[in-house]
Amino acid sequence: MKKPLFARFQKDRRLGVSEGKRRYDLPLTSGAGTGFMVLLIGLMTFLAMMAIAAGFALNGMTRHWTSSLENTLTIEIPAARPNGKIRDSAEITALARSVAQTLKNNPHIENLEVLEAEQISDLLAPWLGKDVTLNDMPLPGLISVHLYDSEPETLKALTSAVESVAADIRIDAHERWLGDILRLVRTLELSAGLVTLIIMITTVTAIMGAVRSRMAEHKDDIELLHMMGASDMYVMRQFRRHALILSFKGALGGVTFGTLTLAGMALLNRSAAQSLLPDFSLSGLQVLGLLSLPLAVCFIAAMTSRFTVLRVLSRMP
Amino acid sequence: MITFEHVGLRYGIGPEVLSDIHFTLEPGSFHFLTGASGAGKTSLLNLMFLGRKPTRGLVHMFGQSINGLNRAQLCVIRQKIGVVFQEFRLLPNLSTLDNVALPLRIAGRPEKEIRNNVNELLEWVGLGEHKNALPLTLSGGQQQRVAIARAVIARPKLLLADEPTGNLDDNIGFRLMHLFEQLNRMGTTIVIATHNQAIIDKFGHPRMILDSGRLHVEEPENWARKNIEGGC
Repeated sequence: MKKPLFARFQKDRRLGVSEGKRRYDLPLTSGAGTGFMVLLIGLMTFLAMMAIAAGFALNGMTRHWTSSLENTLTIEIPAARPNGKIRDSAEITALARSVAQTLKNNPHIENLEVLEAEQISDLLAPWLGKDVTLNDMPLPGLISVHLYDSEPETLKALTSAVESVAADIRIDAHERWLGDILRLVRTLELSAGLVTLIIMITTVTAIMGAVRSRMAEHKDDIELLHMMGASDMYVMRQFRRHALILSFKGALGGVTFGTLTLAGMALLNRSAAQSLLPDFSLSGLQVLGLLSLPLAVCFIAAMTSRFTVLRVLSRMP
Repeated sequence: MITFEHVGLRYGIGPEVLSDIHFTLEPGSFHFLTGASGAGKTSLLNLMFLGRKPTRGLVHMFGQSINGLNRAQLCVIRQKIGVVFQEFRLLPNLSTLDNVALPLRIAGRPEKEIRNNVNELLEWVGLGEHKNALPLTLSGGQQQRVAIARAVIARPKLLLADEPTGNLDDNIGFRLMHLFEQLNRMGTTIVIATHNQAIIDKFGHPRMILDSGRLHVEEPENWARKNIEGGC
């Protein structure tokens, strides 16, 4: 009878019979806790993936805000005068044009744009909705300015220039609110990094514990291998291979679950109010980085098991 | 081959289980190690297969002192020693074939050579039919034959056996003793710890007798004469 293809790798389930390729000298696969280890590494990988993805997204937000608002400022002509009297739209338009005229030839300004009422309505739409009529509502005049630089001296010169048109005209260089938000986002980024680090330390500790307990369980068998002349590296390779396989299984599960979760979150994010927040989507490189997480987990598992086994063996007779 | 000079061994802070052991085993020699239960046979074998280091004295093996050797150097020496343990110590997850192949795999021999040699030896010890069986499914005698096959497969320079025929019927026991003799003729130094007087008498090799942790060696002619004087 012809032997089936891959028969060498098939496991014979008959009681007491072992066929096919030898896997380990030590009975590492039969002990309790193997499934738990896979689950633990899977969960750790999932959590690490979430933390790293959050870090990537927050980093994207920071870059988006800093790049889009860098060297820009908004000049606001208040709808109300300092005495509380409301300016009419014609007066606001006139003041806006006057400011634009004053700043037209300023060497620090790359370009400026007086926002029309429709543009201001568009800016307010996320808060007030598109159907609200703003004709009767007192709206400030806004001038969007792009600068060549945003040095304090430049801002000081521009402030005195616009104040020469009207003393209550304000310049918003975005720095104050942007600075607060960026500080918050960077704190969150740092937290995501810290969480990833803690997950990594926990994974390393769990692998070390599992390897140590396995070594204690198979102490006699390890001694036997030594009696037959097995080197520490020979024994270590058995544990490292076992740790690698378990870690790969767990990490693969964790990344699969993580990818599904991130895909679900991306779908939800797409239907949310997109104009309020920047895009949370990840770049191709970032996705590749997340998908290569199992390799990183395997590397950690390999190094941890190697270090642990050699350390424990060095204390054996 | 092996020299023990005033070697002593104690476990922890207990009394010495071996005291002032002093002997030399020449290459290609064959000795039986005898003594009452608890006399220290297993402890002496332990020292000889480098399972323990002596608490005092000097041990020389294969031309070097083992006292100052590091772990890597000990591995090289251990690969020259085959051991048959009293309790067999087979790895439960490995088949008969893989258990026997273990010393060759540790030594890094090619897989084809390993399979050929192991299959041949298993046929010889009558376990060819059981090469894929796990140790738990084998009888005591079969497990012992696996343990012996494992000890001799790599043609060790020194073979140490702790009661290797204890669980075997006389026929297989004598057959395995002939295997040991054959190995001995090929240059392997052999020490067999045994209580089996029939085997000791039949094969007539020198005896290393342990008595309360002390060792003396008797050549066959001496104990034959003693037996005659004692009326045996």
